[in-house]
Amino acid sequence: MLHLLKYSFLSKIRNFNIVFWPLVFPLVLGTFFYFAFGNINEADFQTVPVAVVKEDTADTFFLTYLEQVGESNPDLLKREEMSEKEALEALQDKKVEGIYYVGKEPSLTVAGTGIEESILQTVLDSCENTRTTITNIMKKNPEMDIETITNLLSADSLVKEVSLGGRTIDGNVQFFYALIAMACLYGCFIGFGSAIGIQANITPLAARRCVTPTHKLKLILTDQLTSFALGYVDVIILLLYLRYVLKLDFQGQMGKMLVISFFGSLIGVSMGMFVGSFGKMQEGAKIGIILGISMVSSFLAGLMNGNMKDIVEKSFPFVNRINPASLISDAFYCINVYDDMTRYYRNLITLAVMCVVLVLASFFMVRRERYDSI
Amino acid sequence: MSKSMVHIENLVKRYGNLTALNHLELDIREGEIFGLLGPNGSGKTTAISCLLSLLKYDRGEVKIFGEEMKPDSYKIKEQIGIVLQNVAVFDELTVLENIDYFCGLYIRDKKRRKELVEDAIEFTGLEDFRKMYPKKLSGGLLRRLNIACGIAHKPRLIIMDEPTVAVDPQSRNKILEGIQTLNQQGSTIIYTSHYMEEVEQICTRIAIMDHGRVIAQGTKEELKQMIKTGETVTVEAIVLEEKNLQDIRTLEHVFDVRYEKQVLTVRCTDAKHNLIRLLNYLQSQDISFGRVFSELPTLNDVFLEITGKQLRD
Repeated sequence: MLHLLKYSFLSKIRNFNIVFWPLVFPLVLGTFFYFAFGNINEADFQTVPVAVVKEDTADTFFLTYLEQVGESNPDLLKREEMSEKEALEALQDKKVEGIYYVGKEPSLTVAGTGIEESILQTVLDSCENTRTTITNIMKKNPEMDIETITNLLSADSLVKEVSLGGRTIDGNVQFFYALIAMACLYGCFIGFGSAIGIQANITPLAARRCVTPTHKLKLILTDQLTSFALGYVDVIILLLYLRYVLKLDFQGQMGKMLVISFFGSLIGVSMGMFVGSFGKMQEGAKIGIILGISMVSSFLAGLMNGNMKDIVEKSFPFVNRINPASLISDAFYCINVYDDMTRYYRNLITLAVMCVVLVLASFFMVRRERYDSI
Repeated sequence: MSKSMVHIENLVKRYGNLTALNHLELDIREGEIFGLLGPNGSGKTTAISCLLSLLKYDRGEVKIFGEEMKPDSYKIKEQIGIVLQNVAVFDELTVLENIDYFCGLYIRDKKRRKELVEDAIEFTGLEDFRKMYPKKLSGGLLRRLNIACGIAHKPRLIIMDEPTVAVDPQSRNKILEGIQTLNQQGSTIIYTSHYMEEVEQICTRIAIMDHGRVIAQGTKEELKQMIKTGETVTVEAIVLEEKNLQDIRTLEHVFDVRYEKQVLTVRCTDAKHNLIRLLNYLQSQDISFGRVFSELPTLNDVFLEITGKQLRD
């Protein structure tokens, strides 16, 4: 048995498809993700300097609004009253990002386009929306005074920000959950190799192995064992890399994440075994199928578009209940964000059931000892 | 009489409407190098696959070492070595690791296995390549590795399915010599090929297959005695008229005359002076000619006479 395990392991770790797709590719992709947006929330936010030029007919509502913004978000804007000439010079020297002209109708002048300019425009738009809302309310409820209306509009009085399960989350981490899910599913390359290496009607190597006195069940089990182990180790390496090298903000317990990775790698490897065992199709066609399944599953779980999982949840919730990549990433959400252990276990049980079904189905297909044709 | 190693009786294998094995009968005895000769598609590989219980068959019986061969006949499998037509090794394992892996599927004792692996490496001349990966090996060396993986455990019965396909002449000779050595060391060998020269060179008994059945069986001498041809005389660069051809047909012991593209082929029964008689006739008619060959019958002649077609068709 040790002999079989040793060579099954060696032949796998030296196989390009088995090393690259489930291990190297997710590590590289994770690194790209990290440099693309992994640190976006950690970037130093710069307060936006803005010049305020008061005209004779200054709109007091806008000035009040700016004051309120300054009170509720002191780091958002740095206002400075200036004359028009000073303001224009400051804008030219890039000392300010824009100029609010507060006349009868407030307006904004900027010298470029960017996040700072967008913030200034948003503040202006927001003020106008508030003004319109207040005007509408006053028309319908003339008895209400402006203070009451302002209090009503203040979101702070009605909404309190709390983080679920006492945890906060960087929105971009969802891409990394989908990436881990993808890495788990790419374990299919490992399982696939195992399945075709045991069917005498597919490869001459399998035929040679099948005519030896080693029981076929032994060959199948050792291959499955090394495949699962290797798939799991690959995902653990990725998880450790994301957490300790890229220092991503995974707040859940490592133990629970390892459990998800275990079930995730099981499902990936089993999927590969199942497709590899299925019929007498060309090897290339089968690889296309497993690659397609992995990519579509990962896409639907939000690998390429962060909102995809929510879109699927709204339109086809059943897909999220059976999509292995969604189940894996959702399990990560459960421990890192929602703190919902019931849902966490439901995801794991679903993965385990799917895995058992796939492994049994592939086992019954590959255990055949005589073939109709070779 | 030596013991029967392989006994195949009334074996029928069909793929839909195609009958791949048509009531095949074979009996291979201990110590033989038994050649299964036949053109591509004659059913040699199918016969081997049925023999090894890899293929289902419709009818018949396969016995190895006197016992019925089944997929779970592990005791029988322990004593068989297989060298398949296609190279069947792990690309990810070195030469040494590949041989050790396959030997380990038969031999559990580590110390014994180590000795056997070294023997196989030495036997196939792979000493200098033990740490190389199969992809780095030439075609001939790869075939030798394929053989080493099949014979390392010193099996009683070795089945070799076209082991010299796409091999250079030097490696081919080395492989053929190796097979004879294995036989001398006590292994019975079943050797399939469509190269009649190889089969003639090494096999002690031969079965010629066509359309899934054995059409002739025996030693090479016995097979050649089954046919009329005793000698084939070929004359090149010769210009003949129809009258000359008719005259040649009437020469003693001549039974077949063919004339194509200025090459005359005359097949005679086994008798003395066939060549001299033909040359005397050509001289008497003052006919000039180029090179002349006289060949004893080959297995191709046997195949040709029995089936009416060339072995290499």
